[in-house]
Amino acid sequence: MDKRDPFRHNVLTSGHRACSGCGEAMAARMVTDLIGPDAIYINATGCLQVFTTHNQQSAWQAPWIHSVFANAAAVASGVEAALRAKGKDTPVVVQAGDGGTFDIGLQCLSGMIERGHDVLFVCYDNEAYMNTGVQRSSSTPHAVRTTTSPPGRLSQGKHHLKKDVISIIAAHHMPYAATATIAYFPDLKAKVEKAMRIKGPRFLQILSPCPLGWVHDSALSVTVSRLAVETGLFPLIELEHGELTGVMRLAEQKPVEEYLRPQGRFKHLFGSKAGAVELRHLQALADARIRRYGLLDADTQWDTACAMQSVRHGRGGYASSMPTSEAVKNDT
Amino acid sequence: MTPKLDIEPGSSTAYHTGDWRTRQPVYRNKWPPCSQTCPASEDIQAWLALATEQHWQAAWQKLTERNPFPATMGRICYHACESACNRKHLDSAVNIHAMERYLGDRAITRKWSHKPVCDTPQTQRVAIVGAGPAGLSCAFQLARHGYPVTIFDAQAVPGGTLYSAIPDYRLPKSVLASEIDAILALGIELRLNSRVGKEISESDLRDQFDAVFLAIGSQRPRQYPGKESSRHRVMSGLEFLHRLNRGEQIALLSERKPKHVAVVGGGNTAIDVARCIRRLGAEVTVICAQDSHGNHHRELGTEMPASLQEVIEAETEGVQFIYRAGIRRLVRSGEHLSGIEIAHVDQVYDRHGDFNPVLFDGTEEFVPAGLAIFAIGQETDWQGLEQLSQSTQADGVWLGGDAVSKSKLAATAVGSGYQAAMSIMADLKGEPFVFDTHKKAQITFRQMSLHYYPKQSRHEGEVSEQRLDGFNEVETGLLDDDATHEARRCLSCGVCFMCDNCWHFCPDAAVIKKAGGYGIDDDYCKGCGICAQECPCGHIDMERLTG
Repeated sequence: MDKRDPFRHNVLTSGHRACSGCGEAMAARMVTDLIGPDAIYINATGCLQVFTTHNQQSAWQAPWIHSVFANAAAVASGVEAALRAKGKDTPVVVQAGDGGTFDIGLQCLSGMIERGHDVLFVCYDNEAYMNTGVQRSSSTPHAVRTTTSPPGRLSQGKHHLKKDVISIIAAHHMPYAATATIAYFPDLKAKVEKAMRIKGPRFLQILSPCPLGWVHDSALSVTVSRLAVETGLFPLIELEHGELTGVMRLAEQKPVEEYLRPQGRFKHLFGSKAGAVELRHLQALADARIRRYGLLDADTQWDTACAMQSVRHGRGGYASSMPTSEAVKNDT
Repeated sequence: MTPKLDIEPGSSTAYHTGDWRTRQPVYRNKWPPCSQTCPASEDIQAWLALATEQHWQAAWQKLTERNPFPATMGRICYHACESACNRKHLDSAVNIHAMERYLGDRAITRKWSHKPVCDTPQTQRVAIVGAGPAGLSCAFQLARHGYPVTIFDAQAVPGGTLYSAIPDYRLPKSVLASEIDAILALGIELRLNSRVGKEISESDLRDQFDAVFLAIGSQRPRQYPGKESSRHRVMSGLEFLHRLNRGEQIALLSERKPKHVAVVGGGNTAIDVARCIRRLGAEVTVICAQDSHGNHHRELGTEMPASLQEVIEAETEGVQFIYRAGIRRLVRSGEHLSGIEIAHVDQVYDRHGDFNPVLFDGTEEFVPAGLAIFAIGQETDWQGLEQLSQSTQADGVWLGGDAVSKSKLAATAVGSGYQAAMSIMADLKGEPFVFDTHKKAQITFRQMSLHYYPKQSRHEGEVSEQRLDGFNEVETGLLDDDATHEARRCLSCGVCFMCDNCWHFCPDAAVIKKAGGYGIDDDYCKGCGICAQECPCGHIDMERLTG
């Protein structure tokens, strides 16, 4: 066991082979540290599985199972049923990319939810098949350049829209489904902790930028995911039994261009007439999402400025079994 | 029975991803712009940080390390720190001067005393000439380090210009006296009514002391160069303030009480004089050769030297201002002054940069005034110190304060006293003198991520409604809650405040949190730069790896 850090477990520890600045590694580290090492993690095939388990070396410091691409939710169902039969209440957590959730794993996930298994399903959404070389997925947003949706004379990147998977999940009469992103740790923490308190199937969709596939500077992963929220393109919402129960209000709406500019996958939209049309289309999509979830006029104090606020001595750490900074200070 | 696996999985920590990186993050404290600008070099960020957690006494101690006059400076300093504050790019600057005053007032009411830095008493004796801010600041530092110090002052009361030239509505005498008492309580000997050259000779100073610090200030008002002088209807600003502070306010304007008073000059002394005259019940016009604030004419740098805040206060109190006006002549009727003839100033400074206004003919105007007060600067009176003033540090004589510095701010004098004390101590110990080398790494708001700070309004003290009724203080201090709020508004520019961002955002778990700080695990850091990008206060730098 690696115990370098006295303030967190590092369930996903160092030495993994994710690219520099990987948003998915960051998101997985946050989520698993919030849940802790006393849980069983099931991982669908994808970037996360590949870069954490390399050559007989595992970055996981908790029980971890790799399933095939399609059936992570089915494996989790079985693990949960077995634990139930043995009278144990160890949490079961599925981790999958957007391929393993939106496309290939969707029917197993649907079945797991329908049967009401007590499992948390976490989708790290990086909006394409990054591991195999940036192919489009049904999660890839409109007008994005991928290797299978190249922009050119006849095309401005992906023609279709991003699949609204959270609505599909919520339509299962789901106890808890929420979206989150790495830029707002306090928000992510509140959502993971809330999900862990609820019994039954739960779902988290976490936007995780990919510097390689989104073609931005590795230092900008957090900035880009913050802009996705602030422009309204990625609303942070909570749905309980299909009803909208929480949103993060936008303190101010930023133009989508601020989000698109730093990303090479949208570069083709700037400087051409056809691109300008798509820019207007993306702005309209953001506006429509803001209207749909009431992101500007929601009656809540929880807004993007409040969730962002940095305070002296931090805004809370990880699992409650870890010592507080006061305790460690007294110790040394 | 659990079947035994043939292959035991190893930990990925055996694989060091650290050798991928081309850049590495470095935690580095920067020097915030407030401290950079502070003439007394206070570590403002550090004492505000202590105030944030309501460690008031610790904050006061941190503050007084550089400036033993917080209650005084919090009131009278023109707070250049606040004009430099990075927070003004977010909402408005932190109310630093009010915080300084709050800590100083708290120390006075609770009778906190200064702690010596070293307990072993030194034997070398130091003499200080002048008990003004520079002299007292120097004496304070030396006494804290165990040196026996004697201060000589020609006046009957210590404080120098702080006592004689600052009106009561800006600085109550009791506040100044309390802070001076706290400094003297360190065991400093104070000899009042002792002018060097009269009560004590220069050679005595040289013989009895190992080092001498001259901080005699600039006490002699510059005279109006005009030919005529009507003795009792023309006065210098300093003389007016001295007499007022000695309690002569009634006598000043009693005989043939003038309705209108003209004050000539554009500095802070002119504003002080004008605001005092308003309190004595007369109309006052300030005649200033320079431009008003933010209103440059064709030359650059011709703005009036007075602080903008003071000008605004004076205007609120009904002081009239005439800008770009020079004095043609004093107009008399018999023995008495009836007014001043002014004319438009074309050029304030000549090509050598000296004050030498050029007046335009035909633009003359008449300003009625029964009394003219000239506040046009002051000079140092070296009388009695002819030999010492020619000496250098090699002879064991240091010079400081207003007497030698171009800026005549009290805080500059305090800083100069501190610097002299450090230099004297280094010299007496035979060590080389290095001063504040850490001040080099500056930080601007562009290096910070301001979106991590929410907008918060600035809290002020209350302004008295009946301000013209007497010489009572215009502004009250901060309340306890407001002080905590203001301290929390500090952005902590360039200095880590343990917000955990770098620790949360590291994708590689290469940022290790320790008690009291963070460290980078070089074995695993891939150099992505997220920690530096997301550090709110710009504490983390990315450095290119060489070799």
